[in-house]
Amino acid sequence: MFDTPLTDLLLAYAGFEYSIFDYCDTMSQRGVWQLKKLVVSYCNWGGSSRGVREFMESKLPAFKESNPQLEVETKHIGGQHPHLEGIYRNKNERTVCVRNMTPEEVLECATKLRNSLGRKVVKLKTRHVTKHPSVQGTWTTALKL
Amino acid sequence: MAHRRVFQTLIRQYSSSSFKTLNPLLQSLPRITQTQHFPQKLNLISPNLTPIQNTHFSITRHFSSNRSDDSDDDDDDDDDDDDDEGESLDEDDVVSGFSGKKEYTAEEKESEANAIGYKVVGPLERSDRVFKDYEPVFAVIQIGSHQFKVSNGDCIYAEKLKFCEVHDKIILNKVLMLGSPTQTLIGRPMLPDATVHAVIEEHALDAKVIIFKKKRRKNYRRTKGHRQELTKIRITDIQGIEKPVTQVVPEKIKKTVKKVEKVAVPA
Repeated sequence: MFDTPLTDLLLAYAGFEYSIFDYCDTMSQRGVWQLKKLVVSYCNWGGSSRGVREFMESKLPAFKESNPQLEVETKHIGGQHPHLEGIYRNKNERTVCVRNMTPEEVLECATKLRNSLGRKVVKLKTRHVTKHPSVQGTWTTALKL
Repeated sequence: MAHRRVFQTLIRQYSSSSFKTLNPLLQSLPRITQTQHFPQKLNLISPNLTPIQNTHFSITRHFSSNRSDDSDDDDDDDDDDDDDEGESLDEDDVVSGFSGKKEYTAEEKESEANAIGYKVVGPLERSDRVFKDYEPVFAVIQIGSHQFKVSNGDCIYAEKLKFCEVHDKIILNKVLMLGSPTQTLIGRPMLPDATVHAVIEEHALDAKVIIFKKKRRKNYRRTKGHRQELTKIRITDIQGIEKPVTQVVPEKIKKTVKKVEKVAVPA
């Protein structure tokens, strides 16, 4: 990760507990928002963009204010269906098509993108991720209490 | 049939227009009575008006859609003399929102969250140094109906926790067991003073699982996709048990002792 040292400095200055080992582990967030940029693409003519256009007028300013760390960009694409694109800190991009959705649904989609890490959507191996599985020593057949 | 329909529409129109015109009158009446001290007039007028309104609203609105009708609430509020109270009850009882989401009060949220096994403390501040190094202490926690054996710095994927957002601090209060290298505390079934502090990391959907049903030779096949909503929780602190002290301290003491000796000699 070529930008790790700079981000380390920035976040250490910001006062966050932070270690390089933890940053390399993609699962860790540690108080750092993972969504860096949100691109709202819309069309001025198409009917499928109507919800997104209303969302941009009514709900997008409030969303921007509640997430100051997020860079929100609106992009006009003519003649295509609208979509939301989220770019995460681990360079992952997730695109959600929001055609024919109401402004409330578009806000829900945007909130879901903001709430998630950038990790690949794969079936979980375990629901408990730990680096130190045993505190009192792993059980063996030879152990006698 | 047509005559009945015409009759109903006429009544509906009259009732809607009359209700609107009567409404300001009714609102102004109690004020008038208070200033002029004529309570008798109000008692005379109101029984005449309320039965009319009730009969109008009982005929109309046979739709199947689940709209917030004044008629339903007026039928329930027959006993109320004051129509202002009836209107305020309508607003509170109605389920708002296009998707029919239930709006929880703060107390309901707390009690439901407590039942599941956690409590929201507040959002994570930038000044909080919550993420510590690993301590050799574990706790067995219950969230909903699932139990996890948890230590400092672990991540857990639990079912979606409703009343908390990403970067919220959480206290998990259903602790069944605590353990350290030297001591084990077993709860019966819970430990009363034990708490586990955690931070919400993400609310996300799991990968899609396809539920496929088939009955062979019976022309029956169904495919359904399902994505479970999960919450990723990172455990930061476990309290309620004596943690073993680390061995970094004696080295520092030796260094300070040496410095004192050196200072004493030239003096």
